[in-house]
Amino acid sequence: MHKLWAAIRKEGLILLRDRNGLATLFIMPVVLIFVMTLTQDNTFKSINEKGLPILVVDNDNDSLGTSIVRGLKESDLCSVTTKIDGKQATEKTAKKAVAEGKFLLGIVIPKGATEAIRSNISDIISSAMALDEEAVSAIERKTTITFFVDPVAKKTFISAVVSNVETFISEMKTKVMFQTFTDEMQSLMEDGEINNKVNNQVNPVEFSTVYASEYLNDKVPDAVQHNVPAWTIFGMFFIVIAVVGNVMREKNEGTSFRLQAMPDTYLIMMNGKIMVYVVVCFIQFLLMIALGIFVLPLLGLPSLGLGESIPAVLFLALCTAFAATGFGVMIGTASTSEQQGSMIGSLSILLMAAIGGILVPTYVMPELMRTVSLISPLNWSLQGFYTLFLKGGTFISILPNALALIIFFLLTMSISFMLNRSKKIK
Amino acid sequence: MTDRIPILTISNLTKTYPKAFEPTLKGIDLAVQRGEIFGLLGPNGAGKTTLISILCGLTHPSSGEIYLDGHSLPSALQEVKPLIGVVPQDIALYPTLSARENLLFFGAMYGLRGKELNSNISDWLERLGLSDAADRRLETFSGGMKRRVNLIASILHKPKLLILDEPTVGVDVQSRNALIDQLELLNKAGMTIIYTSHHLEEAQDFCTRVAIMDYGQIILTGKPEELIAQTNEARNLEDVFLSLTKRKPRD
Repeated sequence: MHKLWAAIRKEGLILLRDRNGLATLFIMPVVLIFVMTLTQDNTFKSINEKGLPILVVDNDNDSLGTSIVRGLKESDLCSVTTKIDGKQATEKTAKKAVAEGKFLLGIVIPKGATEAIRSNISDIISSAMALDEEAVSAIERKTTITFFVDPVAKKTFISAVVSNVETFISEMKTKVMFQTFTDEMQSLMEDGEINNKVNNQVNPVEFSTVYASEYLNDKVPDAVQHNVPAWTIFGMFFIVIAVVGNVMREKNEGTSFRLQAMPDTYLIMMNGKIMVYVVVCFIQFLLMIALGIFVLPLLGLPSLGLGESIPAVLFLALCTAFAATGFGVMIGTASTSEQQGSMIGSLSILLMAAIGGILVPTYVMPELMRTVSLISPLNWSLQGFYTLFLKGGTFISILPNALALIIFFLLTMSISFMLNRSKKIK
Repeated sequence: MTDRIPILTISNLTKTYPKAFEPTLKGIDLAVQRGEIFGLLGPNGAGKTTLISILCGLTHPSSGEIYLDGHSLPSALQEVKPLIGVVPQDIALYPTLSARENLLFFGAMYGLRGKELNSNISDWLERLGLSDAADRRLETFSGGMKRRVNLIASILHKPKLLILDEPTVGVDVQSRNALIDQLELLNKAGMTIIYTSHHLEEAQDFCTRVAIMDYGQIILTGKPEELIAQTNEARNLEDVFLSLTKRKPRD
C-alpha cells in the first residue's frame, strides 16, 4: 500500500508539472465541445425544431397554394418561406436561390393550379353523373408544380417533401371533389347538411410523433445532448496520448530499467498510473458535463440534461475512464518509441471514434458500419450516455455498456502484463 | 562460512536474442567474491550490458546457471532483486521531480519508509554534496549532479551487490572523484561492486579484479596489476585491453 501510494504521488506530481500535457487534456475537449456544439446547433435545430429551409413560390394564390404553404409550415420537416431577402420570390429568383445553396428546395405552384383542379373535378363529376364516358376521358387540364432541387439535398428529404405536397394536393382534391359532388347532390337532394357532414369526415386520420423509448423522458435530441457526451468521451480517450507519453518517457529516460530491476514494481507502477489518470479522466468528465449544464446555455444553446440517474452517469464515466487508461497503458507497453506510441494511440482513437458514432452518429451509417461500430469502446460508452441522457435510462439499463468497458479495461491490462513479460523473456 | 562462497557465480551462460545471427553471450563463466570491486571491461558490443540486464532480471538467459547470494536466477528473481542495486548508464530519474522526490519514490519502491528513508536520503545528499539542491527539480541539475543522484537512488536500500553501468560517463573530474570516493567507502562497508566502464585508468585504480569481455566471451580475468605484468610491453590496463581486443573500432 505504501509503494502504491508512492507511485500515485509520483505520477500525480509528474502530471501536475506537465502544464502543456494538462492543458491539452482539459482544453482540447472543451474546445471540441464548444466548436462542435455551436456548429451543429443549427443543423440539429433545422432537423429537430425548424426543419430544412424550403422556398415556395405561390403563383396560384388560391386553395392549393395556401394548402401547400400551410401544410409544409405545420410539418416538422422543413421551414417554409415565400420571400428571398424580403422580396416575394418568383420562379426565376427561386431557381437562382436554390442554385446558390440558399435553399435545399424550391416549389413553384403555377397560376391557376387550383382552378384547373376544380374545373377538372367539376367536369368529371358532371360527366360521371351524366354517365357520359366519352366526356370523362376527354377532360384533361394539366397543371405542373415545379421542384427546384439543390443537388446536395438528400434524396430522402426531397422524397419526403414531394410526398407531403402530393398529400396536400390529394387532400385539396378530395375537398374540391366533395364540394362539387355535394353541390351536385344538393341540386338533386336539396339537403345542405350533407356538405358539413362530408367536410367533417374528409380527414379522419391524424398523426402524432413520439420519441421511442422504454423509459420515460421527454428530452428531445439536440446538439448539446449529442455533442457533450460524444466529445467528452473522445477527450477522455485522448488520455491515451498522455499515458503513452508517460510510459514511453520512462522507457526512454531509463527509469523503466531501474524500476524493472526493483522487486514487484510493474503492477504497482501500472496501478499508480491508472489511479492518477482515471482521476484525471473523471475530472475531465465532470468539467465537460458542467460546461454542458452551465456554460453552453449562456451561449444560447440548450442545457445538457443528465437524465434520471446521476449515480449511473458517474458510474459509466468511471468505467469509461478505466477503459481509456487501460488502452493507453497497453499502447504504451506495446510501443517501441514515443512517436510510434503517440501515432498508434491517436490514430486508433480517431478510428474508434469514427466507427463508434462520435464523429458521425451511427444511425446515419450504412448497415455494415453500424455493425462494425459495436466493436468500439467509445460506442459502448456513448450509447450508455444516450440511454441515460435521452431515454431516461437507469443503472440497470447501462450495465451492459459498463460491463463491456470494464472487460475491455481488464483485457488491455492483461495484454500489457503479457507483453511486458514476453519482452523480458526475449 | 557464507563469506567464503562467491556472491555471484555464473556458469556457461548464453544469450541469443530473437532474430540474432549469433549469440550475444557465448558461455560466460564467472565468479565474483564478496567485498570485491569487480570491473567488467570490454569494447562496445562485447555483451556487458546484456550480462547486466540478465543479472537485474530485465531479460532471461537462453541457457546456463546463475547463483546470486545463493539464489538461482531467473527463478528466484524476486528474492534477488532486493539484494542488488543498479546504477544504469542513463540518468534513470524523473527530470520534473526534485532530487528528494526522486529518492523518496525509489526508496519507497524498495520498501523503505518514514524516518529511515528520510534520514537515509538526507545523509546521502549530504555526503555527495547535494543538500542545498535537494529540493530543486532534477532537470536543473548539471550532468555530474544527476550522476550523483543516480547513484544514491540505487544504494538507499543498502544492497549486497551494487552493479554500476558506466557510472561516470560525461561527468567532470570533481564529480567523478566524489562518486569513486563514496563507492570505495561503500565497498569498505561490505558492499560488493560490479563496475563496467570505458575509463580503463579509472578501472585500474578502482577495481580489485577485472574481467575483459569481447564477442560475448570473457577472455581474461585477474587483478589489474597481474594482467599488466602478464602482457608483453603493457604499461597499464589500456595496453592489456588493446592487445586483447585489438585496435579496430567497434560498432
